[in-house]
Amino acid sequence: MEGQRRLKAAKVLLIGAGGLGSPLGLYLAAAGIGHLGIVDFDVVEFSNLQRQVLHTTPDVGRRKTESAAAHLRAINPEIQIATYDTRISSANAMELVRPYDIVIDGTDNFPTRYLVNDACVLLGKPNIYGSIYRFEGQVSVFAPSAGPCYRCLFAEPPPPGMVPSCAEGGVLGILPGVIGCMQATEAVKLILGIGEPLIGRLLLYDALEMNFREVKIQRDPQCPLCGERPTLHELIDYEQFCGVRGQEAPGAPLESDFEISVEEVKARMDRGDDFDILDVRNPEEWQICRLEGARLIPLGELPARMQELDPSRELVVHCKGGARSAKAVELLRQAGFVNVKNVRGGISEWASKIDPSMPKY
Amino acid sequence: MIRVALPVHLRTLARVNGDVTLDIEGAVTQRSVLDALEARYPMLRGTIRDHVTLKRRAFIRFFACEQDLSNESPDTPLPEAVAKGTEPYLIVGAMAGG
Repeated sequence: MEGQRRLKAAKVLLIGAGGLGSPLGLYLAAAGIGHLGIVDFDVVEFSNLQRQVLHTTPDVGRRKTESAAAHLRAINPEIQIATYDTRISSANAMELVRPYDIVIDGTDNFPTRYLVNDACVLLGKPNIYGSIYRFEGQVSVFAPSAGPCYRCLFAEPPPPGMVPSCAEGGVLGILPGVIGCMQATEAVKLILGIGEPLIGRLLLYDALEMNFREVKIQRDPQCPLCGERPTLHELIDYEQFCGVRGQEAPGAPLESDFEISVEEVKARMDRGDDFDILDVRNPEEWQICRLEGARLIPLGELPARMQELDPSRELVVHCKGGARSAKAVELLRQAGFVNVKNVRGGISEWASKIDPSMPKY
Repeated sequence: MIRVALPVHLRTLARVNGDVTLDIEGAVTQRSVLDALEARYPMLRGTIRDHVTLKRRAFIRFFACEQDLSNESPDTPLPEAVAKGTEPYLIVGAMAGG
């Protein structure tokens, strides 16, 4: 009973109600966590349902926080749920994190991971970290003063475009279930004060090989946040730190000079204009549908294969929805390509407006 | 024979499945392993170490036998288990999916 009382008294902040947040929320609610905060700004989409098992088909279009709260209350009507239908940012992170005992990082991008880490270190809150990509996952517990933080492990994020996100590279739907359940386990252990928390240890999971590897990680004395001489004393601009201008949602990352509509691409094709089409999706997406004459170089391979493209030719770049191709255009511009444009809305827009016979996915 | 485990995005880039195996003549160090890896898979140049300085990139870490070797000298011999191929040399990259 004492353990159950502790769980009921615990205040846990779940950042992200997506792939990782789904098993986390379900198991924490079922375990009897008393106070659960859920931060997410997104709405449920059909493409989420393969892995975000907290949401169901009738929830499509609903706010994720609202859908999550409803399903979790159905499991545990006693749970106190606070929903924050907002994007966590430097402006609100400290106030969001402050009231909670434990933070669980179920986010899906580098800027937010560094933001969550920094807020937790500055406020002295344990951060239960989990991340996934395709068939692999990582789990650790970053506990201020007891072990390393995320910055000790990865001092800087990869350059934009080098490591694809799940939206870009895909993810095995079961994978967040495995990793999220391990995060939930660590949360319950911390609350109950039992077992050996995953502090100073990084667990690596490979679903294809079906193996777990554990490695030791240590605090970095040079860490700007928790090292011997910290230089970071407040939250910073994380999108600038990570070299990105914003989230990976389509729209607005590029000025209009570097964008082109699907209608314009079609009209130019019909006119016989001379330009190249670059598809930066993954090979499995290419198998589903493609534009005639397009050339495939997945975004993750672009930095190493840029020399295969001719900078003197006009290049029209597309992906599924326009986000990856926006990154590709940015990379190409940085590499000196001048005449390069992103197809707004990507091949999904093409399938909707130009060729309804094209399969959508 | 040395076994090297790459993060999934670099396996995709190198077009390999599972661990990479390398034959290395002479001392088995982080430098000799990475040199051999990049010689076999030139597309990995610049993704693990900086193109110019050959220093580890900040979003990559190196492990072997559960130990973090990321800040060790690149010329320190790797553990015998790695040199014999019984334990892999792990190259671990930051990932952010959720």
